[in-house]
Amino acid sequence: MLFQALQKVLQTAIVLLVVSVASFSLLKLAPGDPIELMLGTEYSPEAHRSLIMELGLDRPAVEQYVLWIVKFVQGDWGTSYVSRAPIFQYAFVEALPVTLTLAVSALGLAILIGVPLGVLSAIRKDTVWDAGAAAFALTGTAFPSFYLGILLIWIFGAYFGWFPTMGFVPPWEDFRGGVYHMILPAITLSTYFMAMIVRLTRANLVEVLEQPYIAAARARGEPNWRVIWLHAMRNVLMPLVTVLGLQLGTLLQGAVLTETVFSLPGVGQMITNGVLNREYGIVQAGVMMTGGLFILMNLLVDLLYPVLDPRLRPR
Amino acid sequence: MTEIDHKKILAARLGTLFSRRNVLQGLGATAVVASSLSLSPRARAAAGGEIKLAWTDFIDTLDPHFTGFLGAVKVHNNIYNGLLKVTYDGEKVSFVPDLATSWELLDDKTHLFKLRDGVTFHNGDVCDAEAVKWSLERVAYGEPKSPHAWKLTQLDSIEVIDPLTVKLNFKQPYAFLPVALTGSVGRAGTIVSKSAVEKYGKDFGRNPVGTGPFKFVSWREDDSIVLEKNPDYFEPGLPKLDKVTILIMKEASAAVAAMMSGQIDGMSLCPLQFVPQMKANPNVKVYGEIEGNYSYIAMNCRAAPFDDVNLRRAVSFAIDRQALIKQAFFGEGIEAHSPISPPMTGFFDAKIAASGRGQSFDMDKAKAFRAKARNQDVIEPVYIMSEQGVYGTRVAQTILPMLEQIGIRPKLELMERAAWVSRRNSGNFDMFDLNWVADLDPDETLFPEYHSTAKWNYPGWKNAEFDKLVEDAQVVLDIPSRRELYYKAEDVLMDEAPIAITSHMPVYKVLSKKISGFEYIPADSLNLHTVSLG
Repeated sequence: MLFQALQKVLQTAIVLLVVSVASFSLLKLAPGDPIELMLGTEYSPEAHRSLIMELGLDRPAVEQYVLWIVKFVQGDWGTSYVSRAPIFQYAFVEALPVTLTLAVSALGLAILIGVPLGVLSAIRKDTVWDAGAAAFALTGTAFPSFYLGILLIWIFGAYFGWFPTMGFVPPWEDFRGGVYHMILPAITLSTYFMAMIVRLTRANLVEVLEQPYIAAARARGEPNWRVIWLHAMRNVLMPLVTVLGLQLGTLLQGAVLTETVFSLPGVGQMITNGVLNREYGIVQAGVMMTGGLFILMNLLVDLLYPVLDPRLRPR
Repeated sequence: MTEIDHKKILAARLGTLFSRRNVLQGLGATAVVASSLSLSPRARAAAGGEIKLAWTDFIDTLDPHFTGFLGAVKVHNNIYNGLLKVTYDGEKVSFVPDLATSWELLDDKTHLFKLRDGVTFHNGDVCDAEAVKWSLERVAYGEPKSPHAWKLTQLDSIEVIDPLTVKLNFKQPYAFLPVALTGSVGRAGTIVSKSAVEKYGKDFGRNPVGTGPFKFVSWREDDSIVLEKNPDYFEPGLPKLDKVTILIMKEASAAVAAMMSGQIDGMSLCPLQFVPQMKANPNVKVYGEIEGNYSYIAMNCRAAPFDDVNLRRAVSFAIDRQALIKQAFFGEGIEAHSPISPPMTGFFDAKIAASGRGQSFDMDKAKAFRAKARNQDVIEPVYIMSEQGVYGTRVAQTILPMLEQIGIRPKLELMERAAWVSRRNSGNFDMFDLNWVADLDPDETLFPEYHSTAKWNYPGWKNAEFDKLVEDAQVVLDIPSRRELYYKAEDVLMDEAPIAITSHMPVYKVLSKKISGFEYIPADSLNLHTVSLG
């Protein structure tokens, strides 16, 4: 068990290394130059030359990469070219908690609403409830999150004035304010997952409910809630957890759009700005963090399997 | 050069320079002395409070000597002061002393500034003649080199006469100086704290220390910049606000929504498409006039097909400016016939449309020039564009059918901004369009853009006659003679048409009606020292 986990961690490190090389090369290959963007209208060839030298961008790309990774693993993430923000502070201390809060809220909301709705539609198969849930799920999947975000802003923010439409309040400092600010972004980001969870739960539960062990449980006279939530759901959890783990990438992708629409200072906005301004250090930090997070989550999912299903436990 | 009455010229500069209404009436420069040092009449409004403003334009650094972006300059103006500042009374733009109490020309190359007594930086340091000297020298000769150093290349030496008197000696008369020395658009005369620059080094831009009405508190990436009242500010009773939070918002539509729902008190820049909506909102006031800008379509003069002057002329006459303003700019803006724009009031030619000077829409002329062009086949130039700025790709899309009529069928290449900037700077294009903003002086709007050695000469145009005219105009301080030179230079430029000039645009800011005391200046600035709540 421990050996397995260690093996995974080692694999993770290798994958992250590959990811960092890939993102670094892609960014270097992209047309555009950070210094030109940084100088704006005050661009001149001399200013350009002196800044290139100062920032070490005249060195070969391989050397730049090696210098970067050596410092990176030591915890020196550098400073951004343009605004001279310390990248570790910017990426890890400021941006990451915002994105994590958003992702956890969205995922929590999706599970909280998606699972009961999926169960409802499975046990009321082929009724109005089922059709309603299916329609909801289909709409949720099809609706682009950035558009939904703008709609929510205009209806609940601008027109009714019920919810704030921008900015981040850390819930660990001001819980009510934090939740209040997170409601619209969380709904925006969660719809896609909510829809997916509804469909997954329904499909799996319908199948499980036809298994003999469910009939046996019912024959024993167990109450309906026990049959569904204890016996049947246990077998639905497995595919659900697997798919959610794999979909984390999609979640982070959606976070980019949601953060832009709601002006949340998270990793998504950070990477977008980083790419647009060719801030290599910022993009690398963002990619390493999201890559690390993605791998970590999948590792967690792997480790969770034996807990969820005793049959997978090593004997 | 003949004898010049420098005092008189100075009076003209300080006072009337840019009386827009006078010029519109065709009176030229009349001697009206600006009482610009007096305080706002709205001093009655309650002091204190906090406002939140959405900044949708980009902020690169808070070090004024190293910025390249107006979004940042708008913040700097609230943290720093210049030797001079720009003021506007609804009619005329003037340059008046800011950190100085007086500004004299001893001769046409020597400027004497008396400084205000008792001005301190936010860190407690005294802002005296030494501090001014050090700051100007940082721009002119500092290392690393300031991108604004070109504004002080004519500077010969700075002498500290006494702690409150500083003398600037120039190698030759320098007409652009007032703009170069304003804390607003010039950025070369903005005074920063020496000890803070020495303490923070390269990170001064994240730890700015100036003399301005607001002190810097914090800057969080993608989130906000917070400023607080400077209780020791030198203008009595100002600033009124206790705190200003600048919310960095990339998405203008999100800022508009926040404005509509009252979560923020203002926007630093309102995209044209939202202006009607904002004007209709009873809780909001929209500020904006035609500013010192022009939008244009550039043609690459270095290579075929646009190394052919007749083809360029054909393009310049083929653009239907009215239609373009209606379709691409939501009806906002006025036709431009030459680069000198309305706020450059001593220089703007209000009758240019009727005078026949400059470029305008005339399809017959366009076709006539097209018939003289070297290449008589259908031409397919590469037009680079990017979804950036206020206008995106709308100009390119609108002018396509206009150019089609003269046998030019541009190939539109849409790219991301970084790639676009790179190709524009390296001359790798046939055509592109751009909006050139926030100029207050004809030198600024002609010399660095079209002189053959100029840094913003993207079309790569070279003309000896034009070069000579704009060089001469730089050392002439007398406004009518200077105007004469610039009109000649413009005529050469417009006739040779490295660019087809299209329009002068209004620039809009939006503030909640809760806010009073805002003094609008048509130089894309957002100065908050006189602003108060209620």
